[in-house]
Amino acid sequence: MERFNLLKKDHLIGFLRKLAKEYRIIAPVKNRHGDTLFTPVTDLDNDEIDLTNQPQNSIKSFLFPQTEVIATYQSSTPDDYTFTEPEPSFPPTIFFGVRPCDLSAILYMDVIFLKGKKDPFFLDKRRNSLLIGLNCTAPFANCFCNATNSGPFLEFGFDLQFTDLGDRFMVETGRSSGERLIEDRPQFFTPSTEKDSQARYQSFLEARGGFHRPVHLDQTLKKLAKGEVDESVWSFLSERCQDCGGCAYVCPTCTCFTISDQPLSPTNGERLRSWDACTFSGFTRMAGGHNPVHRATGAIRQRFLHKLLYDVKQHGRTSCVGCGRCVGICFGGTDIVRFINMSCQGELYGT
Amino acid sequence: MTNSINEIENAEVILVTGSNTTEAHPQVARRMFDAVDRGAKLIVIDPRRTPLAAMAHLHLPLHPGTDIPLLNGMMRIILDENLIDDLFIEMRTENYHALRDLLFRLDLDEVVRITGVPLDTISQAARLYARTQKAVICYCLGITQHICGTENVQTLANLAMMTGHVEKEDTGVDPLRGQNNVQGACDMGSLPNVFPSYQPVSNEDYREKFEKAWQTSLSGTPGLTLLDMTHGGADGAIRGLFIMGENPMLSDPVLSKVKETLTGLDFLVVVDLFMTDTAKLAHVVLPAASFAEKTGTFTNSERRVQMVRRAIPPIPGCKTDLEIIMNLSRRMGYPMEYDSPAEVMEEIALLTPIYGGMHHDRLENSWGLQWPCWDRQHPGTPFLHKYFFTRGRGHFVPASHQSPSEPMDATYPFQLMTGRIYHQYHTGTMSRKGTLLNRENGEALLQIHPDDAGRDNIRHGEMIILASRRGEIRVKAEVSDQVAPGTLYTTFHFSEAPINLLTTGARDPKANCPEYKICAARVEKIRQGP
Repeated sequence: MERFNLLKKDHLIGFLRKLAKEYRIIAPVKNRHGDTLFTPVTDLDNDEIDLTNQPQNSIKSFLFPQTEVIATYQSSTPDDYTFTEPEPSFPPTIFFGVRPCDLSAILYMDVIFLKGKKDPFFLDKRRNSLLIGLNCTAPFANCFCNATNSGPFLEFGFDLQFTDLGDRFMVETGRSSGERLIEDRPQFFTPSTEKDSQARYQSFLEARGGFHRPVHLDQTLKKLAKGEVDESVWSFLSERCQDCGGCAYVCPTCTCFTISDQPLSPTNGERLRSWDACTFSGFTRMAGGHNPVHRATGAIRQRFLHKLLYDVKQHGRTSCVGCGRCVGICFGGTDIVRFINMSCQGELYGT
Repeated sequence: MTNSINEIENAEVILVTGSNTTEAHPQVARRMFDAVDRGAKLIVIDPRRTPLAAMAHLHLPLHPGTDIPLLNGMMRIILDENLIDDLFIEMRTENYHALRDLLFRLDLDEVVRITGVPLDTISQAARLYARTQKAVICYCLGITQHICGTENVQTLANLAMMTGHVEKEDTGVDPLRGQNNVQGACDMGSLPNVFPSYQPVSNEDYREKFEKAWQTSLSGTPGLTLLDMTHGGADGAIRGLFIMGENPMLSDPVLSKVKETLTGLDFLVVVDLFMTDTAKLAHVVLPAASFAEKTGTFTNSERRVQMVRRAIPPIPGCKTDLEIIMNLSRRMGYPMEYDSPAEVMEEIALLTPIYGGMHHDRLENSWGLQWPCWDRQHPGTPFLHKYFFTRGRGHFVPASHQSPSEPMDATYPFQLMTGRIYHQYHTGTMSRKGTLLNRENGEALLQIHPDDAGRDNIRHGEMIILASRRGEIRVKAEVSDQVAPGTLYTTFHFSEAPINLLTTGARDPKANCPEYKICAARVEKIRQGP
């Protein structure tokens, strides 16, 4: 039988304190307004590390910031530009308490940014990052990672992964880099027993049965692959899309960006890359003003096709990881769960 | 708003007039969508086929500036078909007979001729609205920015009262206010004639109350309205101006007049985040801190007062509005010493009855409180006019059609309407600094109907000349059937195409609101060559 390590909850902060000597720790922290966000932990004694609520942000924004300087430029005459790449400045970082959905999202970003020609800005950050996962034992209101096969428990992709067993965590090792974190600090860990493995499995079964939303993604995927999603579904949702881009901004796998130059003075400035979203009309509008995407009928088409059809074709799986954040943020009522449910309604209830 | 925003979700009929809600008030539009998804019927009255009009059950594409005859037409049909709420009229209102007399004299054929809306459509709208139990009217600047803006609003009130569609939950008349805190600014007495909480300066008791609190003598004469100040001319009575967070060099009508006035001043101070067109004319510019750099409250459309907390310290060199005012007043010999915004809020609660129970500690951990909130125990007021109107009985004020201030003629054959778009905020002082927002919508576009464009051989995306009796600008044409033939539409966000050079200075004599929505205009191709 495979053996794992156990870490008593009482010693979690002690363990993190040791890690913090060598790494920056980024973990879900509840701020003074009651919001839980992935935040760099600066004070282990007073920052409230919150492992019971879903962080409102994913860790995407640390590895792929909303706005990032990719070059600075100097220009003495209008025709003469000198570009300088910024020095890498991402310290060795441990992301702690990353749930399976967000961890799956990082694996997807690895494919986007590191397959083939590598994105140097992402690579620098990713190389300096370790991921300590946290299996989900109680799915949140909008979660559907069971439908996207990215949770509630994860089998690979992490350096270490924690499972809450009440007074203790079971700690799995996914990579040698994770193993070293334990080997260098063996005093915190005891070996697990068969009983602990049983408890972990029981916890998995309970999590699997704890989803609040029925989401029949497989039906939608089949319909999309066969081109059978009714046109009326697209236009119904598109005309309600409020064009805020919130879904793309909270999405842990949306990686589209745009590049702009920001002058700081007449002679120097910054070249920035910032998050973009396919639901914006400027995303597809051409120089002459023509837009092949008609907002009222197709504003959200690219978003759902990309996540649920193109990525399945190209990478073998959806790039929706079922974290449910877009469901919570969308105020037009055009989120991906509504799309999935609308698109398979005919099949489920007859037309 | 007499209702709360959330109540719109439960309405059974929503009548939207003079509001491009999806672009200007997306959070309100979202409730409309939800209501429609639950079976509510949506009626949109708008000269343009806005996105909301496109999805409405009934769209009444009236000619610009013909709201009163259209609404009177609806009321006449309601009257003819016995759809009025007799009991409500009897118990809660007065002066109904004056309205009825006017409606009896109304010629429906003439209504159709003036408004351009078929009688059948008007009838359908009238029946839908009158027959339902829960009906909400949402209106915006398309109603108020006319010379008859006040009468437009009164006519909407007539319609609501005649059918008993007020003083109930999910039912009422809701003006959608534009900026995040325009309601709060009015509540705080940023109007020429009132102290905070709409207590008139002309009333001696109120004046005494504020004199006691502020320990200074106060004038009982109302101040000047906006255009009285910015249209005063080079030799106007106003010699010095202190402008905070406003950019009249783009937002006020007849910009040439505004410029003449501002450059003729002895002293102009502008407090703003960025160097606006107005700030460029100032003798002194004071850099202000943004919303993210200060603590306080904003009051939104539904009268909800919400806390805003400082997220980052002010950028070096910038000060919050409170600091700027305190610094100035100290130097002017009237020290105002507040330790915190919460202390200002205490004074507001003390002097402003409708904010009587609003303190920072109550607002801090909630989604805010809706005024009137009389004291610390009061839970706030989700909807107004429950059981009685503020003034007692609802007073019907009948109104008849008034032609827009500026007639069209052979030289200026188009009606030009102005408004806003989703991605830019007001004069773009802040939103035009955002790369993505500018990419989404970074320049003024003039909507022109394909028939009109075709006649003048104007292509989509072509720079053209747009002129009115006051001047001309260059703007890019957007050939679109959102507008009807004979009408044009554009926005006022862009200083490269300052549309308010063209708009008229005519205004509603009661509310002093300029007629931004209609002026006579012409379009012209730009001639190439020498």
